[in-house]
Amino acid sequence: MKLQHFLGGLEGLGSVSTETRVFVEPWEKRIFGIHTAMMALSAQLPLPTTPSVFNTIWTWADLRKGAESLNPFDYFKFRYYEKWLGGISGYFIERGYITAEELNALTDEYYQDPSKPLPVAGDAAIDERVVQYLVEGDSPRRDVTITVDFSVGDMVRIKNVPSVEHTRLPGFLRNKTGTVETVYPGAYTYLCDTGPDGIGPAMAVYCVHFDPAELWPDNAEPNFSLYADLYAHYVAAMDNGTTVKAT
Amino acid sequence: MSERFIYCEDREAYSTARVRALEALLIKKGVITERTVDTVLEFFETKMGPFNGAKIVARAWVDPAFRERLLADTPKAIAELDLPDGMAGAEGEHMRAVANTPGVHNLIICTLCSCYPWPVLGLPPYWYKDPTFRSRAAREPRAVLDEFGLPLAKNIKIKVWDSSAQIRWFVVPERPEGTDAMWEGELEALVTPEAMMGVAVSKAT
Repeated sequence: MKLQHFLGGLEGLGSVSTETRVFVEPWEKRIFGIHTAMMALSAQLPLPTTPSVFNTIWTWADLRKGAESLNPFDYFKFRYYEKWLGGISGYFIERGYITAEELNALTDEYYQDPSKPLPVAGDAAIDERVVQYLVEGDSPRRDVTITVDFSVGDMVRIKNVPSVEHTRLPGFLRNKTGTVETVYPGAYTYLCDTGPDGIGPAMAVYCVHFDPAELWPDNAEPNFSLYADLYAHYVAAMDNGTTVKAT
Repeated sequence: MSERFIYCEDREAYSTARVRALEALLIKKGVITERTVDTVLEFFETKMGPFNGAKIVARAWVDPAFRERLLADTPKAIAELDLPDGMAGAEGEHMRAVANTPGVHNLIICTLCSCYPWPVLGLPPYWYKDPTFRSRAAREPRAVLDEFGLPLAKNIKIKVWDSSAQIRWFVVPERPEGTDAMWEGELEALVTPEAMMGVAVSKAT
């Protein structure tokens, strides 16, 4: 069980941050740009090949896996882009694009001399692909025939699937019941196969309505509703196996 | 105290040097170019950003038929407008808008990470990504909105939308009172990213 999957509803955290800036330190912009370029150059995308030596897959799923595998105390300790910097540096080292030794040595050089310039190199086709990715995106929708088990108004039970590495099922919804609010048209893949967690192949996606009083009995605010978009693999029939319409 | 809870003294200087070293190595090895990171950042300053969302909301305020189309089929309605290329691009391939009314207030959250509609709002603000917000907004949205300076009357129903699959969500706030004489361009200036995520409302001044 990973705390990162169970953030919804945690108590005792104190006041929220109302910081409206996207980047709270200038360096954070650079790691965001590197991450976005990696997604754009990722090997599985049907985009023009470029002279970039990047030949592996990097998607949101990889970034999320890294954050979800952190020690949960570190997850809260480090700021958003600090986690990105650690995860992305580790990826480039693990995949052999760079070594830890050269990254450490160069970090020392830039630490001593922050004004030391960046190298000047690269083919414009790489940057053109990055922009093409941003403009075109990477839709998970697939035109395949799928089975859609539920329709709007059906009561459903949320499964408690094994989440060994990565999931898109918020922990606070596991084993709860809800009502289908929307059946999204079409079928949707996920960025990777999550193994026993069960998403990856094209499947239906539902928006499901939950009553906070059932999620957190006697411990949720009144007069609000919670909705979550859920891949069909996480959504099951009520325990008696029959389809039930909410009353 | 455990070392786990100690930050290095030069936390930001270290990260500054570390990310610059990483970018330099990636340029040197031929992964990216010396223009790549700036290209991404410029794209978010000029093409994908909250300036698009503000135009969409202002149009919905002046054109009730457009508002209906926006709520029924969000990407199709957005495609009607004269916005930069990429409105169905990265992190906006499938978007859904929900509208506030006098009796209903909508709040968008992402308890698992930080899903955000890039084409119409750009990048998520710090508050949206912070674990405390993501935890608390799911169970006590009224208390959270109060901390954002938005006390809501008890009779207003709150709908909290947790983005956990392919849809990227945004809110169409209510048009503020006293803006009947304003034209669309003036109205755009009243729409903030916070209002389009539901932690604020639009105000006339």
